[in-house]
Amino acid sequence: MSFFKRFARNKGALIGLIILLLVVLAAILAPYFYPTSPWRMVTRPFLPPMAMDGYWLGTDALGRDVASGVMHGARVSLLIGLVSTVTALLIGVPIGALAGYFGGLIDDALMRFTEFFQTIPAFALAIVIVAILQPSLYSIVLAIAIVSWPPVARLVRGEVLSLRSREYVQAAVVIGQSTPRIIFTQVLPNTIAPITVMASLMVASAILLESALSFLGLGDPNMMTWGYMIGAGRTRLIAAWWISFFPGVAIFLTVLALNLVGEGLNDALNPRLSQEGG
Amino acid sequence: MSEKILARAVATTAIAFLMTVGAVGSVHHAQAQGEPTRGGTVQLAVTPEPPGLMLGLMQNGPTQMIAGNIYESLLRYDTDLTPQPSLAESWEISDDELTYTFKLRENVKWHDGEDFTADDVMFSLDVFLREVHPRWRPTVNAQVASIEKTGDYEIQITLNEPFEPLLLSFEVGTTPMIPRHIYEGTDYRANPMNATPIGTGPMKFVEWSRGSYVHLQRFEDYYLDNQPYIDEVYYRFIPDAASRAVAYETGTVDVLTGGSVEIFDVPRLAALPNTCVTTDGWEIFSPHAWVALNVREGALAEKSFRQGLMHAIDREFARDVVWSGYGTIANSPISSRTRFHSEDLPEYAYDPDRARELIAESGYDGETLEFLVLPYGETWTRWAEATRQNLEDVGVSVNLVTTDVAGWSERVGNFNFQMTHNFLYQYGDPALGVSRSYVSTNIVEGNPFSNVMGYANEEVDRLFAEAANAPAEERPALYQEVQEILVDELPVLWMVEMDFPTVYRCDLQDFITTAIGVNDAFRDAWLQQ
Amino acid sequence: MHLLRFIGGRLIKGVIVLIAIATLNFFLIRAAPGDPASVMAGEAGAADAEFLRQLREQFGLDRPLYEQLWIYLTDILTLDLGFSYRQGRPVIELIADRLPATLLLTGAAFVFSLVLGVILGVLAARRAGKWSDSAITTGALFFYAMPLFWIALMSQIIFSLWLGWLPNVGFETIGAGYTGLRRALDIGTHLILPATTLGLFFTALYARMMRAAMLEISGADFVKTARAKGVHEGRIVRRHIARNAILPVVTLAGLQAGQIVGGAVLTETVFGWPGIGRLMFEALAQRDYQVLLGVFFVSSAMVVLFNLITDVVYRVADPRIEVGR
Repeated sequence: MSFFKRFARNKGALIGLIILLLVVLAAILAPYFYPTSPWRMVTRPFLPPMAMDGYWLGTDALGRDVASGVMHGARVSLLIGLVSTVTALLIGVPIGALAGYFGGLIDDALMRFTEFFQTIPAFALAIVIVAILQPSLYSIVLAIAIVSWPPVARLVRGEVLSLRSREYVQAAVVIGQSTPRIIFTQVLPNTIAPITVMASLMVASAILLESALSFLGLGDPNMMTWGYMIGAGRTRLIAAWWISFFPGVAIFLTVLALNLVGEGLNDALNPRLSQEGG
Repeated sequence: MSEKILARAVATTAIAFLMTVGAVGSVHHAQAQGEPTRGGTVQLAVTPEPPGLMLGLMQNGPTQMIAGNIYESLLRYDTDLTPQPSLAESWEISDDELTYTFKLRENVKWHDGEDFTADDVMFSLDVFLREVHPRWRPTVNAQVASIEKTGDYEIQITLNEPFEPLLLSFEVGTTPMIPRHIYEGTDYRANPMNATPIGTGPMKFVEWSRGSYVHLQRFEDYYLDNQPYIDEVYYRFIPDAASRAVAYETGTVDVLTGGSVEIFDVPRLAALPNTCVTTDGWEIFSPHAWVALNVREGALAEKSFRQGLMHAIDREFARDVVWSGYGTIANSPISSRTRFHSEDLPEYAYDPDRARELIAESGYDGETLEFLVLPYGETWTRWAEATRQNLEDVGVSVNLVTTDVAGWSERVGNFNFQMTHNFLYQYGDPALGVSRSYVSTNIVEGNPFSNVMGYANEEVDRLFAEAANAPAEERPALYQEVQEILVDELPVLWMVEMDFPTVYRCDLQDFITTAIGVNDAFRDAWLQQ
Repeated sequence: MHLLRFIGGRLIKGVIVLIAIATLNFFLIRAAPGDPASVMAGEAGAADAEFLRQLREQFGLDRPLYEQLWIYLTDILTLDLGFSYRQGRPVIELIADRLPATLLLTGAAFVFSLVLGVILGVLAARRAGKWSDSAITTGALFFYAMPLFWIALMSQIIFSLWLGWLPNVGFETIGAGYTGLRRALDIGTHLILPATTLGLFFTALYARMMRAAMLEISGADFVKTARAKGVHEGRIVRRHIARNAILPVVTLAGLQAGQIVGGAVLTETVFGWPGIGRLMFEALAQRDYQVLLGVFFVSSAMVVLFNLITDVVYRVADPRIEVGR
């Protein structure tokens, strides 16, 4: 059964994929629907949704269009999620691969290093990093990446450890292939599956983490992200619920979609499981 | 469409909206009904939690709010800034305006039972506060020649030259009376009694549950008969603004002190039953908000550029939308609520076209300016965003930078900024609160409330110095002159004279009656039973 | 014997890790702009150079950096976590004041989420493929995907403001003077909203993990054998599947338990819960170095401890599993 067929068997994953595509579409099309900056004060403040033609999701405290913010916010939120995940992978995968492949002292040292990072409470560390570097797009991405890479390293290490003893890897060693070549062409390609599953979940948690940081006032004030919008609207939650509600829904749907897709990927890439389970 | 017309539309519809919601400018004053009754507990929300309650050593806003009821000074001030007796029952000023004689009350006790005497006043003014208080220090070191004890309950202060504002310096946050028997000869900051402050005030300290609340109780031996009326007071620390508003609505707290409720919420809360809102109680402070400009270099060094910025910023939008209608447009370095404010000054109307002209005249090369956001809450962030939009609309490129209180203090204090919001207290008289921002002698590193702009004008220095010590009838003219110069040169862009509304239950009577409001409210407040 | 040696070795490694963390944090925190004196100046609305100098001297910040580090590390070894600049109390006292509140909160959330999550996971696995399975897993995902602070605010509004069933902020009703059982009940009602809010997120995790693990194991050989032998299904679930599936859940639980500080910051902020997460966040804003370092130290120590406990449980539960080195 092909990969796509297996993936499609999971209805939830399909729904997730559709939602995700819609979000990406919104991000791409934002400048066409809303050519002016979402920061512009365009009309009356605190307009409820549907109260005025063209402002379906209402306006916020300064009279800015919530719908414009949500669509433009898709770009930045997705961007932050992707970039921080990729950065975390760039740190975690090499460390995990090296630790798993070489074992011994290298493994010990790298794993202690990884443990070290896991011992510091993740969210607290993220807050401290952003506070030190002062809130900006770069400091947020860096903070998220730094707290997210240890689980990647552990996962990759585990996979590489089990793959190391496989026959085709042993064969490559016997033939005399160089170590980097073995790692890149034999070992890593077989870790792509679990890494992908993990990555989809990491993007989701990166988006949640960014919104939590923004909620606490540590967001970048020049970027209209969903988290920033929720933070800006939360003091008006009771009377003007829509300011925080719609970006909250956006986060919720995106995170949900990413999780469903992740599960679908998991089922599709681990055929054993999808045959089991009565 | 001209931004001006759009902005007008937004502002007027905003006001209309707010009025239908509830209460722009609607200031209920609880009419005192009948005689004060004894008894009751009051819970207030205060934010943030103060670092300590020893008012002599620290003057953070929340510290003053709580400890202003534990300590007292020689005088109090009503909302017209007229001095009233407190620990001093009467006072005399000599004809040459150099000698002030204060007669102290005689039956006053400290919370630990000891008697309050002139020795405590001497110790507080001459020794303790001289060493540690950043606002008393300049006054006592530069203006005061001597402080003498002329009787068990009388002291005399002699000045070098006439200094009219001296009489405004005896507010509890500026010169709290410190118990000599506890602090003399000790290391003040390490004194263990700092954890359980002892004052002469109507409320005495009971308990501080960190992260939760401070508990004060009536001081039974207070020198006013039958007062204070309230039994117990709790100051609650709830870190989240939305939660504080919910706490008021559910009856968990009875008072939302100024600054503890986001200004957006005030109109909505004001419409609730048994709820009164007042902007009184800040007259001594008269918080004055402006955009501070680092005038040392770059585009901001050009006067015409600064004048252009002033025309570009829509202050009415700021007052009506950002500050929900609270506040008054500021046109001068001196607040309209402070003495010697002049109405006769050139005005800078919101005029983007004129702004563009002036900016072009100044030779602005398109450099991106950094605007440091004041980290004191949502409203300031919204205001920074609105200001950025205003400036972008006239072609000035602006980037916002957020930081926290420590970062902001550090950057501004060390002149590492280009533009930022700031607000300072006026303390009733230009010599006490205004001149510090504009005189070149106060360009000092490390202090965000000094002349951080780097502005230096000899004429301004001279005028402020002269006006501080001039006889009363000469001061208005001198301050008029200095205001004219400053309004022309614009080292900062004055925005709004701020109001920090206090939201409270109407059955709390005689609550805000002084120029520092909540800070010393519990001497006279009572609960309608 | 193996076990004791294992524990001993891990403890020593733990101590080394803690010292390294302490040193790293020491420098990390000082990298942030400003210091406690500039914070107090900023909040006072007035300051002068002398005021700032006096504060810095009082805080010991005028000493050279290496001297401050040395004092700090030597103090740590005697479990003296220093003095809070801002609050003028020993850090240990501040933490001891606040830690129980956080432990109560995270403990309650933990138990709630573990119990609910395991039950839901087992139910979902038993009905795998049916719509009730989808309902449970989607419901769990719902609460996983919603931002924590969002749920917190919504529940505050619904249950406290609109329905008036539960108090919205604080640890207990202040000024009421309850004692004994009455006080415990009062604290209990204040605990419900924050604990369930915090717990809902983890419930989803445990439910999914339990379900996945159970599905994987129920296809394993030894289970097939038991079925073939005619062992009662319920017994199979209890004795074989659940006991083995619980292991990854234990790992996750250990990890979560160790994250006591970070996870609670948001909940504690919204609900005004006087815990250690809020203490850390406020100490950061106030640049109260000693408190911040103290909180990090304590929570790192807890993580090390919980990792150790988790590994021991693993070892005891299934000696076949090789645990670390």
